[in-house]
Amino acid sequence: MWCRSASFILDKQQNDTVSNLRNPPDSLTPASPPPLSMPDTLQNPNPQNNISAYYQTRAAHHAVVTSDWLAQAQAAVTREPDGAPDTSVPPVAGKPFSVIDEFNSWRKQPDLAEAVAAIRALAAVIRNCQATTMMELEIELKKASDSLKLWDATSISLTAGCDLFMRYVTRTSALEYEDFNSAKSRLIERAEKFGEISCKARRIIAMLSQDFIFDGCTIMVHGFSRVVLEVLKTAAQSKKLFRVFCTEGRPDRTGLRLSNELAKLDVPVKLLIDSAVAYTMDDVDMVFVGADGVVESGGIINMMGTYQMALVAHSMNKPVYVAAESYKFARLYPLDQKDMAPALRPIDFGVPIPSKVEVETSARDYTPPQYLTLLFTDLGVLTPSVVSDELIQLYL
Amino acid sequence: MHKIEGSQATARQAAELLRSVISQQRVPYTNQAGALIDAVRAVGEQLIAANPVELAVGNIVRRVLHIIREENLSLATAAIAGLNLSAASDGDDDDDGERDEHTVLSAAAVAAAARSTLRPPSLQTLLEDMPESATIPHTTSSGGDSEGKSKSADKSSRTRRLKHDIIEAVNELIQDITTCHEQIAEQAIEHIHQNEVILTLGSSKTVLEFLYAAKEKRRSFRVFVAEGAPRYQGHLLAKELVARGLQTTLITDSAVFAIISRVNMVIVGAHAVMANGGVIAPVGLNMVALAAQKHAVPFVVLAGSHKLCPLYPHNPEVLLNELRSPSELLDFGEFSDCLDFGSGTGSPLLHVVNPAFDYVPPKLVSLFITDTGGHNPSYMYRLIADYYSADDLVVRGRIASGKLSSDRFCLLYSR
Repeated sequence: MWCRSASFILDKQQNDTVSNLRNPPDSLTPASPPPLSMPDTLQNPNPQNNISAYYQTRAAHHAVVTSDWLAQAQAAVTREPDGAPDTSVPPVAGKPFSVIDEFNSWRKQPDLAEAVAAIRALAAVIRNCQATTMMELEIELKKASDSLKLWDATSISLTAGCDLFMRYVTRTSALEYEDFNSAKSRLIERAEKFGEISCKARRIIAMLSQDFIFDGCTIMVHGFSRVVLEVLKTAAQSKKLFRVFCTEGRPDRTGLRLSNELAKLDVPVKLLIDSAVAYTMDDVDMVFVGADGVVESGGIINMMGTYQMALVAHSMNKPVYVAAESYKFARLYPLDQKDMAPALRPIDFGVPIPSKVEVETSARDYTPPQYLTLLFTDLGVLTPSVVSDELIQLYL
Repeated sequence: MHKIEGSQATARQAAELLRSVISQQRVPYTNQAGALIDAVRAVGEQLIAANPVELAVGNIVRRVLHIIREENLSLATAAIAGLNLSAASDGDDDDDGERDEHTVLSAAAVAAAARSTLRPPSLQTLLEDMPESATIPHTTSSGGDSEGKSKSADKSSRTRRLKHDIIEAVNELIQDITTCHEQIAEQAIEHIHQNEVILTLGSSKTVLEFLYAAKEKRRSFRVFVAEGAPRYQGHLLAKELVARGLQTTLITDSAVFAIISRVNMVIVGAHAVMANGGVIAPVGLNMVALAAQKHAVPFVVLAGSHKLCPLYPHNPEVLLNELRSPSELLDFGEFSDCLDFGSGTGSPLLHVVNPAFDYVPPKLVSLFITDTGGHNPSYMYRLIADYYSADDLVVRGRIASGKLSSDRFCLLYSR
């Protein structure tokens, strides 16, 4: 959604025409349901109405599942095998092996981050490819990663994971001296190891952040994040005394899950509704959030509500710490909230909403770097400006 | 250690002490660098424990450790390169190109791996191989093992060379510390302009040299000196400045806000600069920084590279502070009744808190001027990455919190 006109009415019209243009190829595939005329359908090749695939993974991994959502998810899962590969991408669809299937099977594992799943899927591409030269292999991988990125343009860590691995394949010095087969096996081995790296990254982040959690502090967290949970778990295990304020994380209530996990660890935890952030900020010593993606500006893209929490914390002079693995660093530079393809999700309001009423269904927002204090990553404790430095060093 | 005042003097003393440690340390034939690192670290731990607030000592210990690692690495790569050359000349009669290529490859790989152990972790190294075995001791021995005939002679010469190189590099470090004033002062002309008004607080040798260097270059400007209670080192600075012919005005600390609207630039020294760009500075500077921010006056901090500390400040107002004697504030004769523990309820009614340092958060600092040039606060981490290797960040933490930090140590390096 890079080109936006000033008026939202024009915007909507334009989008409608675009989606009409895009509709015919979609409706050719018999399995997919008739696409809704929501403008964002084109961002999301996933046939199951307008929920982003990225969001589905997230919901499956993090959410406290509502019955309504469960039904939809069920429908999505049953439809996926015939729906997804067909609609997705021409280049891979012709072959028996599909990188997207591979990715989907990996991402179902609850403890596996999306970037790791993407890299594993790309490793499977290497394993299955018949290329005999490095160049061919690279082209094939490029195709696969492009299709993977296109399949779910809303997932940042998927894109970042693909980019990181492609960067490794095309630019790494370690492969220069080797013959093709050993290079191939080395690539596969590295990709397999990446899963371990991601788990280790969480441990490192947890260790690094321990110094910042002092006895008697109050930490506010937003939504559910595996890294933040690991951080708090480590702090609790090292006998630190602290309490946690958990936001509810509407509409998928991921905060409830985090509060459950924390209660199991005997950490004093208080649940807030999302609108009580400013009200309670006075008592808070620091804000801890995870991130879906860390962008080039040093800002983060995270669950809806992070931005306002950071704003409130900033205006009350409380530090905002971000815990994120380094493979979430993405080459994006959003200038404002609407710059990225929005990840949409269903929202259950409990009462029927008249069809005339529009509903904001975006699942995440962008927090600019000036509202963040420090980022805890497996590369160390970083200020937001370091992120762009790292990314430039890697991709320049 | 406590007898020495000022981080520059302490830093130099620490570097000199470590140099003598290195020169007296007997090194074994294998793993020389490892032995040296252990020795330096042991002494370093003691030094840091003696005065944890003097961060310059820790910085110097880390710098020296980094030097040892670097020298050892460059020597090892040189040795391997030499080995390859000899292998290539040997290989002529064998007509064995394959083997030759292999050694070149392994040398390159080992060098790359060793380099990556020195580098701070980055995205680049995330996916690349991090061979755990290819650390310093390994490269040393592998360089030595395959050398063959001139083994022993070569080895002893290498021992001497490693030590010699390290001591040379430490000498350079000491030289850097002594001359850092001059290098910082060289940049004065770029920052101080004609007819400007400069404000400073307390006394700092670096600031004195900086201002004097600008005066030497025929800039005429006026200096306001806040006296820097309770030690009133501003008085000394004012005296020095006047002796060197600068227009000087002495003000009380509490007059800073009143005067700041007339000031073009605040130039101060620092006790230490933390990794996030925050500054540990003489008490009172946070107030000056806030006043400068309020009136959009540039707040410039001068710091030699020995003051760059690779740690992040946690609760710096308390943990990195030093509470000095009340006698600097009060005359004991007059106030001894109020301070008496024996009277009344058992605890005195009057408490005196005399912190030595302030923490100035990075967002209040406009510019750092170090011996390598001017830098933004958010850029300090990059300088720090150049000066220290990530292994050494927890020199002190290992005593303080035992197992936890050594675990972290392992974690960072097993990756």
